Amino acid sequence: MDAEALVNDYLGRLDAAAGSLPASRRAELAGEVRQHIEMALTEAGGRDEVTVRNVLDRLGPPDEIVDAERDPDEKPPAWTIPMPGAVAGRSGWGGTEIVAVLLLTVGAVFLPIIGPLLGLIFVWASTQWTPRQKSIATAIVVVLAMLPVILLLGVRAM
Amino acid sequence: MRGMVLGEARKPFTELRRGVAEYCVLAVLRDAESYAFDIVRVLAQAGGLVTSEGTIYPLLARLRRDNLVTTSWRESDAGPPRRYYRLTREGQAALETFVADWTSFRDAVDAVLIGFNEGVA
Repeated sequence: MDAEALVNDYLGRLDAAAGSLPASRRAELAGEVRQHIEMALTEAGGRDEVTVRNVLDRLGPPDEIVDAERDPDEKPPAWTIPMPGAVAGRSGWGGTEIVAVLLLTVGAVFLPIIGPLLGLIFVWASTQWTPRQKSIATAIVVVLAMLPVILLLGVRAM
Repeated sequence: MRGMVLGEARKPFTELRRGVAEYCVLAVLRDAESYAFDIVRVLAQAGGLVTSEGTIYPLLARLRRDNLVTTSWRESDAGPPRRYYRLTREGQAALETFVADWTSFRDAVDAVLIGFNEGVA
């Protein structure tokens, strides 16, 4: 690899490593490092491969430079912390939740008793709903299932 | 004595170097303004305070953001304009605080290490 290609390869790797930085800082950093290389090569008085490799070695690995952008006083930057909402958001309905609701509603019409009971299994399997929400759903299903029995008993008693 | 270059030192020194590097930069700028390339040279000559020269740029960016240094662009005889760094009043105060803290920290560590060595000997 010739000297120019080595420098371009290095700057390319720096740019790739700096993907998480704000765009303005990313461009600024690239300019600073490019100028540093130019100064070091001017000082060294040569542009042969060995000199260029030496200059780039002294600069250090691109990811180490980008890593130093992180404030040591701070926790890792927000863009590396998974957002809690993305994992267990209120709107994070998956297949389990959709099946549960379908069985509890449409299922109750086409598969009386069995549909809602299956629905409850899905309700309790959900990772999105809280135990409190699951208990309320269960209570509603049980009361609705008992309703015809209660009504029948009421009619007989009259 | 076993030769030990800071740059080859083990993990605690990586953290330690990282923690003190910004104050070393402030110290370099105490008496005169300077530009990044020169600051790195001074720190490197001081004995491996900087292992990867490129990390000076993130560090200087942080000092700018924290308002500990201020910068101005100057024309240079050789090459493009250079960004010169100068201590602000806050930078000066931060440096003074660090020098006092570091001195007592160093003395405390030395006292324990020397006491330990004497105990062993």
